[in-house]
Amino acid sequence: MKALFRMKLTMPLILLIALPFVVQAQDARLQLGSLDHLAAKANEIVDVNVDERLMKVAVKLLSDKDADERDVKKLVDGLKGIYVKSFEFDSEGQYTAADMETIRTQLRGPGWTRLVNVMSKKDGNCEVYMLFNGDQVGGLAVLVAEEKELTVVNIVGPVDLDKLAKLEGQFGVPELGIEKTKKNDDEK
Amino acid sequence: MKTISAIVLTLLVLSIPVHAGDDDFKSVVKMIEQFYRVKHQGIPFLAKAGMKVGTTAAKIKGGEAKRIAEAGSVKLAVFEDQAFNGDFTKFRASLNGALNDTWIPLIQTLSGKGGEQNFIYLRNARDKYNVLVINISERDATVVQVTVSGKNLALLLKDPEGTGKSITEEATINDQE
Repeated sequence: MKALFRMKLTMPLILLIALPFVVQAQDARLQLGSLDHLAAKANEIVDVNVDERLMKVAVKLLSDKDADERDVKKLVDGLKGIYVKSFEFDSEGQYTAADMETIRTQLRGPGWTRLVNVMSKKDGNCEVYMLFNGDQVGGLAVLVAEEKELTVVNIVGPVDLDKLAKLEGQFGVPELGIEKTKKNDDEK
Repeated sequence: MKTISAIVLTLLVLSIPVHAGDDDFKSVVKMIEQFYRVKHQGIPFLAKAGMKVGTTAAKIKGGEAKRIAEAGSVKLAVFEDQAFNGDFTKFRASLNGALNDTWIPLIQTLSGKGGEQNFIYLRNARDKYNVLVINISERDATVVQVTVSGKNLALLLKDPEGTGKSITEEATINDQE
């Protein structure tokens, strides 16, 4: 009876402690489905889903002996997902501020920080966000909004700008040309 | 303890997509036929004779390309000179609805309104991977299913679009051999 009572007390406590970590881990994966309606207006669409299942099996299957496989394995090891949605339109005004807001709202969540010391070689507005779980990076998001193009890249797992640069042009991640402009001067 | 191990093992096994239905290839071909009201051409032996293990360089459509598919693993359906008029988003939704339980959608692209559509799905096949590549353009379409090694999975992950095209080209050129 005592043991049952102790368990009744400790279980909610464990759940309370664990919940923020669970929520934090889930937050790195952005919900991009709200952009799907843009596909009907877009001229060019790229939709990439490299999920955790694929990452895990890839890491398991790829050999360390072969240089190509080793490089890919090193790059994806620890990552839990790469998701890309990119839309190109014939004319301007095909996506709205509300479309952007559905993504930005998620990026205002706990742990997400916008990096202001980065820029893209591409035209238009580029925003880079990182999710921090304490000192650890839990994920990254890039929003590129041009007049006729909207691209969202979401990488889940430990990733930094160097890794992002290596991923560009691979795994369906577009060439973003993101580079640091000055020393650490991040702000929300 | 044994029960917990059994449950964990079952959950692990269930979390990995395996061959749930080998008819998925046929289902996709049928889906294209019904959605676009087209008919595929029957191809005997599905190019299996030409497929070799390894990465022997092969001349494909004037360029150098690697053999990607494992020997005898190719399934191919070709649609030639027919009109593929239909809503990309609706077709994509139907396709994902039919395949997403057992296949992982790797990349889906549309180039130009009413233009070329590419879909690449993956699923675990023991120590290898099944790759399903669907390419639909204005007048033609191909559906190719192959098995690839870990090395070629790496190629596919590094360059999904390029490797997807190579898989389709490899399968169709072998058909002509």
